Amino acid sequence: MNLHEEFAEDLSLYALGALSSEERQAVERHLEECSACRRELERLRGDMTLLALSVSGPNPPFRSRERLMAAIAKEPRRVQGRLQKATGWWTAVQWAAAVAAVVIVALLWNQNSDLRRHVASLEANSTEQQTQLMQAKELIASLTSAEAEHFTLVASNTPPQPQGKAIYVRKSGTLVFLASNLPPLPPQKAYELWLIPASGAPIPVGLFRPDSHGSATVVKPPLPSGIEVKTFAITIEPAAGSSAPTSQPILVGIQG
Amino acid sequence: MSSAASNVVLSDAMLVSAIRSGDEQAMAQLYDRYSPIIYSVALRVLGDTGTAEDILQEVFMQLWRSPDVFDASRGSLRGWLAVIARNRAIDSLRKRPPETDITEVVVSVEPDLAGKAEWSRAAEKIRRALGGMPAPQRSALEMAFFEGLTHTEIAEKTGEPLGTVKTRIRAGLMVLRKAFNP
Repeated sequence: MNLHEEFAEDLSLYALGALSSEERQAVERHLEECSACRRELERLRGDMTLLALSVSGPNPPFRSRERLMAAIAKEPRRVQGRLQKATGWWTAVQWAAAVAAVVIVALLWNQNSDLRRHVASLEANSTEQQTQLMQAKELIASLTSAEAEHFTLVASNTPPQPQGKAIYVRKSGTLVFLASNLPPLPPQKAYELWLIPASGAPIPVGLFRPDSHGSATVVKPPLPSGIEVKTFAITIEPAAGSSAPTSQPILVGIQG
Repeated sequence: MSSAASNVVLSDAMLVSAIRSGDEQAMAQLYDRYSPIIYSVALRVLGDTGTAEDILQEVFMQLWRSPDVFDASRGSLRGWLAVIARNRAIDSLRKRPPETDITEVVVSVEPDLAGKAEWSRAAEKIRRALGGMPAPQRSALEMAFFEGLTHTEIAEKTGEPLGTVKTRIRAGLMVLRKAFNP
């Protein structure tokens, strides 16, 4: 427990913002030189959060949602401007790296569903999250490496709507694929992504179905490392997938 | 063969990341997930639906403008938003400019409790701990947290010695801590 009992009560009041300004300054002076009290303050702020989370009440009116969405539409994010100035391939890498990192974090997170049930294992989970973040950072490092090869997949007929981006690191066999505007498929069909090597037969990379917006992602499929890639392609296959393409590609890759 | 990750349920971390790149739909999803708690906290503090709606708007606009200030390694987004809502509502109640820097808001709550069912259970546990406190202890804690009163003001209001108020608030927070981290 806290070794600084004389400050213990004032720290609780400080966390809640319930001290006068003079008392607050005295606590702040003590905090500057006492790491034990700084740690205790962090814990007290966590305890205080529980109070906030104890509240239940009515949902806000629907107009609040409309008001928020209208406000953010009028206030585009700063980051968008920066991205627009970036070169095409770099934008794609940053975008893909961000998406891939969060997808990986989410997937790893899901794998830990057993841990979620144990409220008492706070510290164990914290370590787990650090590991997940490290893995996500490693993935970003791979994707942004100078050795990464970039492919832009466009429709083989002229209308440009369906599009895919594949980012591939040959040395590690790391691939992130993002597609958009893909038409929906009947239930018995699926899209299949193919790696077309510089020599040899197409290698099946992954089966996927787009979401309701026509978007899909294939992140880090199991691929051997070191394959020299000619391009990537997408075909429509039976839902169970094929070991070799059975139809003409609807998207094919061009490097750049 | 790998399956697609296109239809996974988006985690808070993913949505915040999408907000960083200006994704309005990610914002809409976070609104749907957390507007009830933010609005409820603001309404509890302010007792006025119009001002509570303003606080709700303000908290989400803050997240939209500065998603980087949320540090997932330091706690859950739900807890972070709830505490910011409380702080902003108290500022509004006391008619003062925002006092707390939102980067100082720390929540040591298990992030994996983001799921709805887990949180329902956790919120029930918190409410049970509050319900089990002696009435004067709970009341002192709630006056400090939901009314933004200083310990001096609470002592004046309840007619109790300052030292007693301080002890009750401290003890109340310890009861909550123990209930959540037995």
